[in-house]
Amino acid sequence: MKKVFLFLVALIAVVTLAACTANQEAGKEDKNKGDQKQTDNADGDKQDKEKILYMNNSDEPTSLDPAIGFDAVSWNSLNNLMEGLARLGKDHNPEPAIAEKWDISEDGKTYTFHIRENANWSNGDPVTAGDFVYSWRYLLDPDTGSAASFLGYFIKGAEEYNSGKGSAEDVGVEAVDDKTLKVTLKEPTGFFLNIVTNPSFFPINEKVAKENPKWHAEADSFVSNGPFKLTEWKHNDHMLFEKNDKYWDVDNVKLDKVHWAMVNDPNTEYQMFESGDLDMTGIPSEMADQLIEGDNVEIVDQAGLAFYRFNVTKKPFQNKKIRKAFALAINQDDIVKFVTKTKEEAAKGFVSPGFKNPSGEEFRDANGDLVKFNPDEAKKLLEEGMKEEGYDKLPKVTLTYNTSEDNKAVAETMQSMFKENLGVDVTLENTEWNVFLEDQKALKHQLSRSSFLFDYGDPINFLESFITDSSMNRTGWSNKEYDKLIADAKKEADEEKRWDIMYKAEKLLAEEMPLFPIHFYNQVTIYKDGVTGVVRHPVGYVELKWADKE
Amino acid sequence: MLKYIMKRLLIMVVTLWIIVTLTFVLMVSIPGSPLNEERGTTEQVQKNLESFYNLDKPYYVQYLLYIKSIATFDFGPSIKQPDRTVNDLLGNGFPISFELGMWTIIVAVISGIILGIIAALRHNGIVDYLAMTIAVLGISIPNFVLATLLIQQLAVNHPIFPPATWSSPMHMVLPIIALATGPMAIIARLTRSTMLEVLTQDYIKMARAKGLNPWKIIFKHALKNALMPVVTIMGTLLAGILTGTFVIEKIFAIPGMGRYFVESINQRDYPVIMGTTVFYSAFLIFALFLVDIAYGILDPRIKLHKKAGE
Repeated sequence: MKKVFLFLVALIAVVTLAACTANQEAGKEDKNKGDQKQTDNADGDKQDKEKILYMNNSDEPTSLDPAIGFDAVSWNSLNNLMEGLARLGKDHNPEPAIAEKWDISEDGKTYTFHIRENANWSNGDPVTAGDFVYSWRYLLDPDTGSAASFLGYFIKGAEEYNSGKGSAEDVGVEAVDDKTLKVTLKEPTGFFLNIVTNPSFFPINEKVAKENPKWHAEADSFVSNGPFKLTEWKHNDHMLFEKNDKYWDVDNVKLDKVHWAMVNDPNTEYQMFESGDLDMTGIPSEMADQLIEGDNVEIVDQAGLAFYRFNVTKKPFQNKKIRKAFALAINQDDIVKFVTKTKEEAAKGFVSPGFKNPSGEEFRDANGDLVKFNPDEAKKLLEEGMKEEGYDKLPKVTLTYNTSEDNKAVAETMQSMFKENLGVDVTLENTEWNVFLEDQKALKHQLSRSSFLFDYGDPINFLESFITDSSMNRTGWSNKEYDKLIADAKKEADEEKRWDIMYKAEKLLAEEMPLFPIHFYNQVTIYKDGVTGVVRHPVGYVELKWADKE
Repeated sequence: MLKYIMKRLLIMVVTLWIIVTLTFVLMVSIPGSPLNEERGTTEQVQKNLESFYNLDKPYYVQYLLYIKSIATFDFGPSIKQPDRTVNDLLGNGFPISFELGMWTIIVAVISGIILGIIAALRHNGIVDYLAMTIAVLGISIPNFVLATLLIQQLAVNHPIFPPATWSSPMHMVLPIIALATGPMAIIARLTRSTMLEVLTQDYIKMARAKGLNPWKIIFKHALKNALMPVVTIMGTLLAGILTGTFVIEKIFAIPGMGRYFVESINQRDYPVIMGTTVFYSAFLIFALFLVDIAYGILDPRIKLHKKAGE
């Protein structure tokens, strides 16, 4: 027994020693890291010290092929590696970028872009009009399998080519010479410049892509034309961007490097920020209460709407008044204040704030509050609606959301609001995300959670979702007047008139209420001291061109 | 022995085929599709995507394509990460999960067995209660809770270890502790109970009566027999831990392959579902096979094959 005891003592000693050495090493490494960061901070004195911004992309980009990576995790990278004809500026409006200027024809249907003489790829090749022709045709090629191709349908011949009926040559994109690109549109599209800032419309270096169709899959072969170039990409682990010295505006790029971690867990992201491994972080939803009021918290708009869809093909929501009753029974302010708690703006209309008409007026201000909480009116409308349909008792209503704690909290709050303000018992149901989408598209729900995020900066992007047969409609609602308004808006060359039509369309949506709004989205970020100039566009991608770190 | 191994291999292939077929049936029968997005696209774009990924083909064609891909070990590109093939995903992820898993197993087995022996030798003493309290805690605290706690305490509040990501041995310490605690506890309890049983056996008493070195009695005579149940669970434990764990890899941002088991199903990424299933099943079947062989070595009474004339 004594020997066993001795053995145990020895074992404990070994373990403790091992732990100690581990600790010592840990201390050392940490100190080194601290030193490095300190020197980073002391950058003002020493110009040769590198400025590295540590960020989190939350996940591996789906693809860095501009035609394929059609989501935020890809756009965040692409928008900083590449540059289109126009780039969104600090005020979120399109500014000259690879194109130094453009001419728009009288009828608004022909755009002539003049590409900068000093626009170059990171491998030294000049960016040519041909590169744009190549990449836009590639985007529209049905064999590419791009989910973003519909954004190009504003271009003449694009839809035909994408549906296999036309040819690439008939698409209205033409290289007049190496530095002049002529684009012919189907209709005058007042927001076309906004569309070309979307990463799907970035150029592709034709020479490189023809030699190696997988050029975008690895850092070695990636060729960029934006503020940064891709120097390291360990899949699912991290990416490293370096300032692109071939970029035409390289003098205005302040960071030397950007290090992107791919941390998918919001709590871990926050903990890494706390321990100094990241320069900025989002807020884990469980901690929203404590953190949202803190220092260095930046809240900016994200163009988009959290809403609920009615299914107008199912009882009782075939009735407009009953739909409105349900919509007016929801107090959006309370949901934002007590449930979601990350300072989103309660939505009393459908189009999110941040869109300005030609005379500078906000769309949201111009159209005002269209869906305002009003329990008395709601009760009245419910009674009237039930009378119209001859109901003594309202048919059973089920509210469906896709499984998540955050959605559940909102759904439960709405359930109690329906009970309190309408006296209606609503059953809650949740399903897994993919099943949920399948059922929603097949019109199997009655009342279901939904969200919309803008792809480009124009209200039409959202409004056109609810025309008959749009794949985003998913309500069964079809209204000839609405369809016509949207068609007119897309055709209208006069911007003032076009905005008036869109105001009308939104009002009609509120009148008919096939969906009702809950809140607009926002982007909440906590920055480390000294990090400046990071621009987050409402259309959802981050801009690091002007970012700086002290 | 060779004949036995050949027979087992054949059974393994058949088992794998059944698993693949069942997975395929389950996969296509769950509602939803890899191309389902909240964002709307036009019907045309949807059609283009479907034909691009062969999803517009009849099921039997899709099934044959899968069988072909498995036979050639080429699962094709992932639908959700189209630039990368399933082989890339598993090829990059598996070594990392394997490294994490290997260390986890080593830590869990060594500490679990030691804890179990100590508890058994000090049966009903304070040490026993202490060891078993640790074991019960280890089993009942979910590893993701432990993981978050470890990061908060040992990375944020007391910056000893880095909080997450996978780039140096220091980064490995916290995930290994978080992952090893559960299996360690299971092994400790198993070792303790079988140890207690074995220690009362006649041959142990005999050995003691002969005045053998108590040290030798425990490690040579008792432990060898007490390890049988531990070996039994090792098969599943190996396959489970070495192929990665979703939650721990997610919390520590480890680029292993654990995530693909869960995410591929959520996203209905069919090629990745098939790839991970085949990989995991092959791994599990092989691990169980190794366990059977290990039985034969540990306990000669277990015969793996019948000798002629028996």
